[in-house]
Amino acid sequence: MAILQIAGLTKCFGGLTAVNDVSFSVEEGEILGIIGPNGAGKTTLFSLISSFLKPTSGDVIYLGESIVGVPPHVLVQRGLVRSFQIVQTFADMDVLDVVTTAALSRRPMLEAEDYAGDVIRRVGLGGKERLTPTSLSLQDKKLLEVAKCVATEPRLILLDEVMAGLTLAETEAPLAVIRELNRQGVTVVMVEHVMPVIMRAATRIVVINFGEKIAEDTPATIVEDQRVIDAYFGELVDA
Amino acid sequence: MKSEFFTVLRSPVFWGAIILLALGPFVLPSYYLHIATLTLIYIALASSWNIVGGIGGQISLAHSLFVGTGAVLSSALLLKLGINMWLGMVIAALVSGLMGAIISFIDFRFRLGHLSFALITLAFAEMGEIIVIGTEALGGASGLFLPKDKGDLLAFQFGSGAGIFWVMLTLAVGAILINLAVLNLPLGFYLRTIRDNEAAAQAIGVNILRNKTIAMVISAMFTSVIGTAYARYLTFVDPYQLASPVLTVEIVLIATVGGLGKAFGPALGAVLLIPLGEILRGKLGGSLPGLHYFVYGAVVIAVILATPRGLLPALQSRLASWRGSAKSEAKKPSIAAPGA
Repeated sequence: MAILQIAGLTKCFGGLTAVNDVSFSVEEGEILGIIGPNGAGKTTLFSLISSFLKPTSGDVIYLGESIVGVPPHVLVQRGLVRSFQIVQTFADMDVLDVVTTAALSRRPMLEAEDYAGDVIRRVGLGGKERLTPTSLSLQDKKLLEVAKCVATEPRLILLDEVMAGLTLAETEAPLAVIRELNRQGVTVVMVEHVMPVIMRAATRIVVINFGEKIAEDTPATIVEDQRVIDAYFGELVDA
Repeated sequence: MKSEFFTVLRSPVFWGAIILLALGPFVLPSYYLHIATLTLIYIALASSWNIVGGIGGQISLAHSLFVGTGAVLSSALLLKLGINMWLGMVIAALVSGLMGAIISFIDFRFRLGHLSFALITLAFAEMGEIIVIGTEALGGASGLFLPKDKGDLLAFQFGSGAGIFWVMLTLAVGAILINLAVLNLPLGFYLRTIRDNEAAAQAIGVNILRNKTIAMVISAMFTSVIGTAYARYLTFVDPYQLASPVLTVEIVLIATVGGLGKAFGPALGAVLLIPLGEILRGKLGGSLPGLHYFVYGAVVIAVILATPRGLLPALQSRLASWRGSAKSEAKKPSIAAPGA
């Protein structure tokens, strides 16, 4: 069963069409990768799905119901959570407090704090519970971004470039967490720029360019696709 | 509820300090008892404001509206309609809560930024003062005189001196305990995420409108109750004092100097600034007019420059590093826990 269906999703900012008539669906239990060159509209697409932006037209159907116009915090209750590409920190809150707040969306106070401690250890931030964002490295901040999402106990998790800016070795920790979650039945949609990572992690890939979907297939087939090579890899070769 | 709340509630130091303070009326001469009472009023006011302004990060300049409602409305109800002041206090608190809810909704509906929120709440406060001054039934510009305090508890009279001091002590302790409770409940966690980053708060499931409104309503209602007691203390209900935005500025200043968002921060600010202001006025007010304001202002500036995040956080980190060096093996002291 499709947990998420995107139907003809379009978003215009003034004269610019950031996302243009994009349709695809996400099957329960898969890891779907979304790739595309810079400015292709991936983050906008995420904001539309997670209801941070309202689409100009089209529909987002989650668990059989349209979620257009449903506030983001309600979606978290229903099990749909997103991370942010630009790490969103809480200046005056330490790691444990932030993850506890996320866990409060499903658990009472005392349980939430214990559970948050578990999640923090699972993503590899153990021992850093009392650190505030200013003393966290970029890698740790990205892990915190993942921990926040995990602590809400989602069914569907949208990860926006959680590996960006990390070295290939540093991506191991978040990747292991994502795979572990997926084994437990959480569906994952990830936007990623780090190609080797997404090629290994994703079961299926959607390619976006200039706001439009240009391909959708398994990683092995995608790398052979001429349109994808032109749009995406071609750009990398030129650069 | 997190256990930190009960740790304070069971702390002998906390209750010992309260009992010691409660003995104040027996030892203090009346002038110093007045200063102590005033300090307690401002501890209560600044701590109430802290729920919205400190923990929630919403710089509300509307709080004179709630003090004014608590003071003026309950007094007017007594004097014009003969309504018992206890009931008047409840009515005023409900009206204040409603106004707080409306302000929160306007903030949410129009997605006001921090600056717009501050300015709009200030505009509401100005309007409130003008309405009181222009309405004869509320005492107008000349204010209202409450009947003499004969110590009749049923008529909201506590006896001048000791009685009203204990009332203010109760309100101050109550306001601090509310802060402590909020910080150790989910509400406090939600408010702190909202303060630091609204979008990210929503993304982890925090309902912005609901939590901001709850905080505002709690703060407004408690502030209103303090306003009613303040009116009773002063006996003369002067709109230029109790409904004026200047009062809010004092409250914000005290909370900021003490430490925003901390349960005991605003109390520390009040303990420092209110006696300082009063004593400076007493000592210097007669010699050179305005000199006491000058000294007061200089002290405030010095404190803010030295401890930009407030006195309490500065003291805590000092204490933490001192303890850390004393026993380097020791765990992080619990006093450095957030919101302590």
